[in-house]
Amino acid sequence: MNPGLLKLAVVGSRSAYGRLAGIAGGVAVGVCLLLLLWGGANGLSARDDRGAWLRETGSPSVAAPRTDDPTSSGPATPVPLTEDTALMEANPVEVFRDQLINRRDVAALASTTVKIPGIGTPPEPGLYFASPALQRLIESTPGDELGNRFGTFAGTIDDAALPGPDSLVVVTGATETELRQNGRAFLVSDFTTNPYGGSAPAYRTVLSVGAIALFFPVLLLISIVTSLGAAQRRERFATLRLIGASPQIVSRIAAVETAIPSLVGAALGVALAIILRPVAAQIPVNGTRLFAADMTIGWAATTAVVAVMVAATALVAARRTAAAGVGPLGATRAVHEKTPTAWRSVPLLAGLATMITPVLMVRVLEVRLPWLESPLLILGFLLILVGLVVIGPWLTHLVSRVGLRHANSAAGVIAASRIHKTPMATFRSVSGLVIAVFVVSVFAGASSVFEATEAPPAQPGMLQPTSLYATLGAGAAPAQAAEAARQARELPGIPSATIGYGPAVLSDKDAGPEIYLRATDAPRLGFEDVPATATVAVDTSFLGSMQPLALTAAPAANLDDLVPVVIVLGTDGTPEAMDRARTALNVSGITAIPATSPLDLRLQSTGRLIQGLAVFAYLGMFVAIAIAGLSLAVATASAILDRKRILGLMRLMGMPVSVLRRIITREAAVPLLTVVLLSVGLGFLVAWLMVTFIDDTYQVTWPATDYFAALGLSLLLALGAVITPFTLVRAKTAVTATRFE
Amino acid sequence: MNTNENAAPILRARSLRHSFGQTDALRGIDLDVQAGEVLAVMGPSGSGKSTLLHCLAGVLVPDQGSVDYSPAGRAGTAISTLAEPRRARLRLTDFGFVFQFGQLLPELSAADNVSIPLLLSGTRRQDALRRSTEMLERLGLDGLGAKLPGELSGGQAQRVAVARAMVTSPAVLFADEPTGSLDSLASENVLTLMLELVREAGTTVVMITHDARTAAYADREVIVRDGVIAAGYRVSA
Repeated sequence: MNPGLLKLAVVGSRSAYGRLAGIAGGVAVGVCLLLLLWGGANGLSARDDRGAWLRETGSPSVAAPRTDDPTSSGPATPVPLTEDTALMEANPVEVFRDQLINRRDVAALASTTVKIPGIGTPPEPGLYFASPALQRLIESTPGDELGNRFGTFAGTIDDAALPGPDSLVVVTGATETELRQNGRAFLVSDFTTNPYGGSAPAYRTVLSVGAIALFFPVLLLISIVTSLGAAQRRERFATLRLIGASPQIVSRIAAVETAIPSLVGAALGVALAIILRPVAAQIPVNGTRLFAADMTIGWAATTAVVAVMVAATALVAARRTAAAGVGPLGATRAVHEKTPTAWRSVPLLAGLATMITPVLMVRVLEVRLPWLESPLLILGFLLILVGLVVIGPWLTHLVSRVGLRHANSAAGVIAASRIHKTPMATFRSVSGLVIAVFVVSVFAGASSVFEATEAPPAQPGMLQPTSLYATLGAGAAPAQAAEAARQARELPGIPSATIGYGPAVLSDKDAGPEIYLRATDAPRLGFEDVPATATVAVDTSFLGSMQPLALTAAPAANLDDLVPVVIVLGTDGTPEAMDRARTALNVSGITAIPATSPLDLRLQSTGRLIQGLAVFAYLGMFVAIAIAGLSLAVATASAILDRKRILGLMRLMGMPVSVLRRIITREAAVPLLTVVLLSVGLGFLVAWLMVTFIDDTYQVTWPATDYFAALGLSLLLALGAVITPFTLVRAKTAVTATRFE
Repeated sequence: MNTNENAAPILRARSLRHSFGQTDALRGIDLDVQAGEVLAVMGPSGSGKSTLLHCLAGVLVPDQGSVDYSPAGRAGTAISTLAEPRRARLRLTDFGFVFQFGQLLPELSAADNVSIPLLLSGTRRQDALRRSTEMLERLGLDGLGAKLPGELSGGQAQRVAVARAMVTSPAVLFADEPTGSLDSLASENVLTLMLELVREAGTTVVMITHDARTAAYADREVIVRDGVIAAGYRVSA
């Protein structure tokens, strides 16, 4: 191609340079986001790999009697500890403040060959290894609130075995007897490297869907940015056609003139991504930041992103120019869009059918075809995304037809007419935001599973949320329990320590159905209606009940004949007192389970998969909404620039600028509001399908207020994105900016 | 011709000067336009005729000098001292505009294009469409109200533009090369219809043209050269 011809087509005016700068800027933002998203996915994957060993569940530490052998009967027998095994117990509720600490208690023979990731040889009883973040926490907190729970510090766990720099992990040494006491320990010989276990396909599906959900708005942004100033460009190309350039040459010029700013933008995007990577790594996901090094994607992948981006933008520009049919007298197909028809609903319906199929297979027909399920879900999700963009113009066209019939103002008639005649062009402006609302709704719907689990309220007849309890082990003597209660009461912020009694400890087969209390202790547990007897009773389910229970009179019960089965510490509700109470119970040596608070339910009641999803949700919302807002601003600016002559003429004839603003606002609002409800509905449907596919016991509920805040933010952003280019309306349509002859 | 040379002119420009950067477009123009008069402004490219039209219509504010607008029965207005919103209002209510090309909104039907100034003035859409259709019929465009500009010939599109300019019954019609993009037959047709309409309504016309045949339709002709009026004379007795 003649460079002179290219120069003629590309440069020559401030607006041409502005358009090229706009393309470069948009591509820079797109490439930067893509690289950060890719890096983020790498970082999350690396994080899950690092923490995979924490999922190790080992094998049972006791052998059940064989049911097929009549000579083998009686109680389960312990499986002996060997050199190549270690006993390990995961503490499910090691909580500090509102953070869950990943705790592993380990017992091994002195000659053990078992190596614990990040540590090596298991710690001896009384010693512990902690992650650097946890050790910092221990050192900065009074020992009776945290450090006393673990023993003596022996060293830090290596980063290679930690999900992230903020991970709270501790491995404490214990004796074999201690761990065998409550039967929850298991035997391990080596550690899994599979971070997701049986839910790996589901987790990968969720990650793939999330990646597509965020990648799609980036593509829309780039697509919108490359069409910036298309009308002005068509005028220049028409001039070239007039002087003899063939359509092929014009298409090639369009490709090259887009590729050059794209390349510059992509290079800027790479630089931006490198600069922002350490900042992005600071975003906490599921409780910890990422290691910045995990977010690198390598030069080969970076080069591939740049090459694909530049090639794609060039190709799109060439195809658009060819499709516009630029002739010597201007574009012939620019204004007349083909009227959209009901056929545009096909991709969306196909996507829904494709997503519903695996859910029906798994949950209704109970047919498992793992090789087909995830691909169908991902394909369905992709089709729904594409389907929303495809169906948008049709719905917009239908609504605008009604709007045109009822329009009664100049702004209404002009906006409705443009939308009616060019539904694709007008919908393209808001397509990013429509997709963002859909993505946000999917994330919000999925994360509502997590948010639905709330702490129980404080009310009479229920264990108070500010209290902690621990059931007692078989060897706990009444005097030991009384002493533990006395010591706890002496701690600041712990006004009460109540002991509950029963015929046998709760883990024993002879345990009774009720817990007996002194009537004078009952008010400390939150009971208001206390029977007028010295001893009262409550059902054992009181400890974990979400419903209020009533006390019953137990005049015949003699606490001296019973054994202590539970100890409940009441606190003043401050985090310090709660952690002090937790530590006091855990180090008392008489408890059968770790101290538990009703508030712990929030931290441990749902799987980490869904917890992770909830955090992704807010990241996804932020990225999708930000991109969409940017896209809408660019598209609005582009719509103004493309019509600056005709809008300027309207101003010259006496149309106030305010009417022009109303036209621009309506052109964005009508397609957006037309499809946004569909986006919200589809988003929650897709969330329900995905969650049901993973586990049909999860419930998608009404989303948290954060969702409505995100939705409101989207609409505010849309308003801002439309208002921001308003300055262009005044400047670009001023009579001094355009000649009318 | 309905002019009354003894009456105060409807438009009076005095000592108009206007520059674009280093280029002096107008260098001291005095011009009176009588009510009901059809005035042709001629001159070579770059002579300043469009700038003169824009200053007279309140589109541009001259760097120096004044433009006074004095419609019959109303107090005069110094256009050049008004703020843009008031000038815009004046352009909408009192003036009409016809340009060479590209003046119709491509997505609006011919009838809707014509109705826009009425809607902007607060007329109900049904009434606006009725008046638009009547105006289109007067310009020989019966049955074409539903057509888009892209579906009309150049002459038809230009008549739609004239209909839009005249639908509000403006006191002054500003036309900048109104037939510049048309062949001679279409040009003659548009001009004849336009002038029939304006003479019937008593509308004053300021028309810029390169074409002597177009200028021949005017009552008076002035020639602008290098930002000043080089000559002025009456076309018809």
